[in-house]
Amino acid sequence: MLTDIISKHKDAFAPGAATELRAQRNLSRRVVLRAGSITQNQRTDTKGIGARVYRDGVYGFASAADMSDDAVRAVLRSATDNAAFLARHAGRGTGELPAIAQGSRPADPDFADLPQKAYIDCLQALDSYIQQKYPNLDSRTLVSSADSMEKLLLTSDGYTSHTLAPRSYIYVMLTAKGKDGSPVEVFEPLGGSGTFDAHFADPAALYPAVDRLYEMVMQKAEGIYAEAGLKTVIMAGELAGMLAHEAVGHTVEADLVLGGSVAGLYLNKQVASPLVSMTDFAHTAFGHTAPLPVYVDDEGVVAEDALLIENGILTGYMHNRQSAQHFHAKPQGNARAWLFSDEPLIRMRNTAVHPGQHKLDDMIASVDDGYYLLHTGNGQADTTGEFMFGITMGYEIKNGKLGRAIRDTTISGVAFEMLKSVDMVSDTVSWASSGFCGKKQPMPVGLGGPELKCRVTIGGR
Amino acid sequence: MNAHDIAQYAMQKLQETGAQQYACEAHTSAKREFNVDGGKFSLLRTTIDNRLDLTLIKDNRRGKTLINAFTHEAVDEAVRDCLASAEGSAPDPAWELVSGTQRNFTLGAPDGNMDHLFARTQEMLQSIQQEYPKVMVEQMIVAHQRAEGIYLNSLGARYESLEGLYEAQVMFSGHEGEKSSSFNFAAVVTDNLLKPFLDQGSMRQNLADAEKQINTIASEGKFVGTVVFTPDCAGDVLGELLGNFVGDGVILDGTSPWKDKLGEQVADPRITLSAAPRHPGIVCGERYVSDGYLSEDYDIIREGKLNQFMLSGYVANKTGKKRAPNSSDSLVMQPGDQTLKELLSGIERGLLVSRFSGGSPASNGDFSGIAKNSFLIEHGQITSAVSETMISGNLAEMVNHLRGISRETVRNGYSLLPWFAVDGITISGK
Repeated sequence: MLTDIISKHKDAFAPGAATELRAQRNLSRRVVLRAGSITQNQRTDTKGIGARVYRDGVYGFASAADMSDDAVRAVLRSATDNAAFLARHAGRGTGELPAIAQGSRPADPDFADLPQKAYIDCLQALDSYIQQKYPNLDSRTLVSSADSMEKLLLTSDGYTSHTLAPRSYIYVMLTAKGKDGSPVEVFEPLGGSGTFDAHFADPAALYPAVDRLYEMVMQKAEGIYAEAGLKTVIMAGELAGMLAHEAVGHTVEADLVLGGSVAGLYLNKQVASPLVSMTDFAHTAFGHTAPLPVYVDDEGVVAEDALLIENGILTGYMHNRQSAQHFHAKPQGNARAWLFSDEPLIRMRNTAVHPGQHKLDDMIASVDDGYYLLHTGNGQADTTGEFMFGITMGYEIKNGKLGRAIRDTTISGVAFEMLKSVDMVSDTVSWASSGFCGKKQPMPVGLGGPELKCRVTIGGR
Repeated sequence: MNAHDIAQYAMQKLQETGAQQYACEAHTSAKREFNVDGGKFSLLRTTIDNRLDLTLIKDNRRGKTLINAFTHEAVDEAVRDCLASAEGSAPDPAWELVSGTQRNFTLGAPDGNMDHLFARTQEMLQSIQQEYPKVMVEQMIVAHQRAEGIYLNSLGARYESLEGLYEAQVMFSGHEGEKSSSFNFAAVVTDNLLKPFLDQGSMRQNLADAEKQINTIASEGKFVGTVVFTPDCAGDVLGELLGNFVGDGVILDGTSPWKDKLGEQVADPRITLSAAPRHPGIVCGERYVSDGYLSEDYDIIREGKLNQFMLSGYVANKTGKKRAPNSSDSLVMQPGDQTLKELLSGIERGLLVSRFSGGSPASNGDFSGIAKNSFLIEHGQITSAVSETMISGNLAEMVNHLRGISRETVRNGYSLLPWFAVDGITISGK
């Protein structure tokens, strides 16, 4: 783990200016096995010092890859100078940031950095299984990916902390020939928060998941194109999570609200069915540790849950210290930075729709003509709340029963209209955490939810 | 340590591993960046960083390690890790570096003028606020980055570079009362500060359009029509086409529908599409590839025929095809002979699409998604801005159903692209 080289430099903080000093290391490993060939085999290790200083409504930030004492002090000087420059030319006159709790969080436990061979061996075992058992596949791609963020944080007026957050995944992509001769693909990430060996000590444990995925790709190969138009659908938890993150979450990030997000008009208004509640969880959700827990953010704010929608009413935004000051709200630990060279931005943590009381079987039985949408490849949303998700696996529902698989399609809608159409919410939450959210910087995020029955526009061919 | 010293040290350590081939690339960078959020200056950021990229091939096994610490201890550890990665890997004779030459490159403006940059940033913000009063700037980032580096490989390649560039990007939306447009953005990269940022690339066009996109109609029904992609959107759409049909992954696993079509007609003969990092319209384009050879411009599609796959040396060796002469995505499309006005005038019913928000296209090229920041075209005229409108089609069919390419192009420093119009796209509203 990082040695604490920053604590002794608190004397170099600019008097009277809120200051954060961070030493950070990001480690990642990535191996790609495509059609049996290792096309990527890389380890990345990035570390350095970053500091941010607040003065008169604006910030100065500086960073350096050098982790010496001289570099720490130079970074603090540079951040202070930058804040002074910007305050002189573009200060906002908003005064000091409101006080936050002070304290210290104990360091997270260390973990062993596995050799690259462990990642390669696991993939090769899995690849060998797929190649032998399913020779009729057109292609297969396996990716092992592990990353970790370690942060030592020292603040002028908030919490100090030493956090270490690893996560590890294997992505399985299978390609088969469709009935029309064109290739069809399915994709699934396996794994989650924690180290690679904790998740993937035995490759054979992944075989059932691969078998399920194979079944899906063969169903999809025989699949049909979805019929375009406004349809009744059941979104699986993965999609409900994507909706919570992309279409609602981003619009209620306070910096985007100040930048013109439609959610600026909706605070304390009905934006969804009364069946819908949504929270950005800090570290614990529904009685369990959240997929990617955050305990202290990079402004030194102790993380707590941010309730966004309660029984269909938009109840609040996600903040950093500065936006909380603007909106007279309490910061709840959403300010996070990706690399040592990045400044903290308002980011989601584990954003999820709350579970309801319906059973999935009853939800499917209630649909005469619609779709059950299982997997999404990607999603994008607008500050207007208009969203688009790529659908990579789903089934038609006819007369209350699941039917044929569908080929890739797209769904779209306006979140704060579509959420009003939700009339059933399942009682089981599923989570996804393998992706990165992109907002100037990448950031690992968790997202999840129960199945939702609602109306969306589905794109056909 | 500086980049040259650390690179020399790394090469010595890589040699000591007994690897048959090895390479290292060391860079130092310094960036100063002004940030505007919600229409107000918010942050001035200075970042100093390093990058050391190590590659070794031993007994046909390849390892790669990337670090940013320039110390002997860090390099020693990185070389050990790189060797362990290679030794843990499977042997594959397709991995190889190539012999190169020795060159020095000085590109752009290594020494940025920060006072002038701040003045240009203030000017840009003020101009937007004055000239586009309905536009709200969500975020604006203006930066200068200086990078100095060296690439060395065991086959004699030595490339030294010193470069500096200015970048400006802005994200915004139009607002009037409680109504707003979708967000849009524009970005430029340049090697000088002679012109206001606002007068470059698609900045003014996109800002003006945002004001016109506040009031939209949701198009009704479904029809097959013509779509005109703006240069900004064209870059995204063409990037998807190339990734799906001529990129490394789809050629290696054989899923590209174009895998056997080299030299054959795959697109309309008016389409010539190049990867051209050395084109004068591209700022600070790639000068060498990390396998060790110098970058050269090339045509991917020439007059509608597939001229070259976009393959790395590795996939070229695996498949017996020719490697691409560069690894960049500096796209240049040959302009057409019609003005944009002439191109639009012949369109009975269609869409002008400035941004596409869609899922990743299927392997066969089928795509669908939302036409964002877009306008209806009716009887040759741009009429209403639209919302909640989806477009779908097939990428391979699309480039064969070309209606025309504009004479005008947008030069933003990253790419040089015209407007282009294609028929046969399904446009569906509510």
